[in-house]
Amino acid sequence: MLKNVLENNFKIQFEMLLNVIPSSVLMINRQLQVLWVNENFLLKSQRSKENIVGRFLAEVFPLVILQSTGIEESIFNVFQSGVPLKGQKMTYRAPGIPFRIYYYSILPISSEQIMLVMEDVTEQFRLSEEVRRIERQLALVVESASDIVLSTDIDGHILTWNSAAEKLSALSTQDVLGRYFYDLCDPYQTQEVRQILQRMKTSNATHTTEFNLINHSDNGKILISWVFSPMKDDFSKTIGTVVVGRDLAERRKLELQLRQSQKLTALGVMASGIAHEIRNPMAICSSSAQFLQEESISKEFQKECARKIQTNIQKASVIIENLLRFARSSLDTEMIEVDLISVLNETIELVVNQAKVQKIKMQMSTQKKIILVLGVPGLLQQVFMNIFLNAINAMPNGGTLDIKVTTIGDRVNIRINDTGIGIPPSELENIFDPFHTSSPVGQGTGLGLSICYSIIRQHLGSIQAESQLGQGASIIITLPFI
Amino acid sequence: MSKNILIVDDEPDMCWIISQLVQSQGFNVVTAYTGEDACLKLAKGRFSTVFLDAKLPDMDGFDVAKYASLLKKDKPSVVLVSGYYYQDDPVIHQAVADGIICNFLAKPFTNKEFINILMSSQ
Repeated sequence: MLKNVLENNFKIQFEMLLNVIPSSVLMINRQLQVLWVNENFLLKSQRSKENIVGRFLAEVFPLVILQSTGIEESIFNVFQSGVPLKGQKMTYRAPGIPFRIYYYSILPISSEQIMLVMEDVTEQFRLSEEVRRIERQLALVVESASDIVLSTDIDGHILTWNSAAEKLSALSTQDVLGRYFYDLCDPYQTQEVRQILQRMKTSNATHTTEFNLINHSDNGKILISWVFSPMKDDFSKTIGTVVVGRDLAERRKLELQLRQSQKLTALGVMASGIAHEIRNPMAICSSSAQFLQEESISKEFQKECARKIQTNIQKASVIIENLLRFARSSLDTEMIEVDLISVLNETIELVVNQAKVQKIKMQMSTQKKIILVLGVPGLLQQVFMNIFLNAINAMPNGGTLDIKVTTIGDRVNIRINDTGIGIPPSELENIFDPFHTSSPVGQGTGLGLSICYSIIRQHLGSIQAESQLGQGASIIITLPFI
Repeated sequence: MSKNILIVDDEPDMCWIISQLVQSQGFNVVTAYTGEDACLKLAKGRFSTVFLDAKLPDMDGFDVAKYASLLKKDKPSVVLVSGYYYQDDPVIHQAVADGIICNFLAKPFTNKEFINILMSSQ
């Protein structure tokens, strides 16, 4: 009697215990009949206890699950061996029941009973799926980037190498994995790259530099702009370096094209002024030559005609020579010692005709007769030409274009003032942006000042604009002088 | 008494050439190097023809031509002589149609062309 009561108590406690655990539990005998089932399984399968207890496994689980998991055979094996089977995956799909994923274990209890424990891992599974999706996405971004993206371990061995890196170096990921990154760079710069990687170990800041990457197939050098960043783990410990590189050749090519197209625009603007200025001496030469063909003219008149022809051919020739200089200068890119004042004077020569046509007075004042700077004369001339033409455009009804050159410390200031329409405050901040233009559609490319900006930066200088609407504008260029 | 011709051009050599051509036909020559000077001379003197450059240091040639066309009496014939425009330039067509100029001569020109225009504008 007491034994019965105790057994009953045990049974109640045992059932209570199994009902509260958040897993599904089924007791199954050798005949694959369900002897007992907990509340959790009833809830998940949406079936009643009567509908399950005493039934065969084949009646409790959908056939497709039994087949895909081979669970019946597994249970049989556990009965035979007495060894538990753990951590099996089951995808539970049944009509009218939400899709779930379980990890199940088959645990032997006695020779007549096993326990099937099913743990619902649907949420965890979804989460890891999401993590994997994000990982794939990130990998795709790195892989599709047109920039080189690579990572190294703390000693500089390459860990990852994207397709842009493969393309530019002509080395596949397989070729480079585990190799030192600096071994793939220009041999002359190996030491520098080594030092940067060394610095990354202790630094928190990124490092920007430019050096060559070697193309393995033709041994060519490709100039790349690099950004090195320390790679940190979850505990902010540096575990390597992330290196991003951009091929500068493309950008340089584009810059060159922009400069050239901008130059053509400037030549177009100058053309009308130059036409006027060349046809004047031509007219004088032409008429003088016609006088010379007449027989009745005096010796003195003959001489006068010849003199006029000679000086005017000379005048036209100077104009053409200046034009040629301007058109060709973009080909040289070598920095040399150059007199800024001569460059300014030559540029003024080129636009003074156009200015005259528009009744604009050009004047220049300078403290020194010669100011040497390190630069590319053609490029500097292009900058001044651009600014002068902009100023001339801003004064359709005439005015004054004033150029003041002063030196302060080791820098020379070139201040170009016009008395034109001025620049509205809203535009002042983006006049150096590419394609920003105030000219009517079709009349300006908007590239002029952005090219000036890039050229002046290349000369280690700065360029800025000041203006008040209706009161003219000033462009101030600062350059280091020698 | 021979007629007066006004030559307006900021290029002294150009003025010299035109003067030679005008004088060869027996006319008197007056020269102005700026727009302002030209207007002053137009206001004071009497000219049968003005040979006018299109681009002057202080004024546009067309403005000088307009000034001449507004004179109350003795309006001169204005001939624009310029390297800035071409013969069938729309701007020139318009100025002729508006009666601001009566003729146009592109630089460079032949002396014969010039003399034809000089004579036909009398």
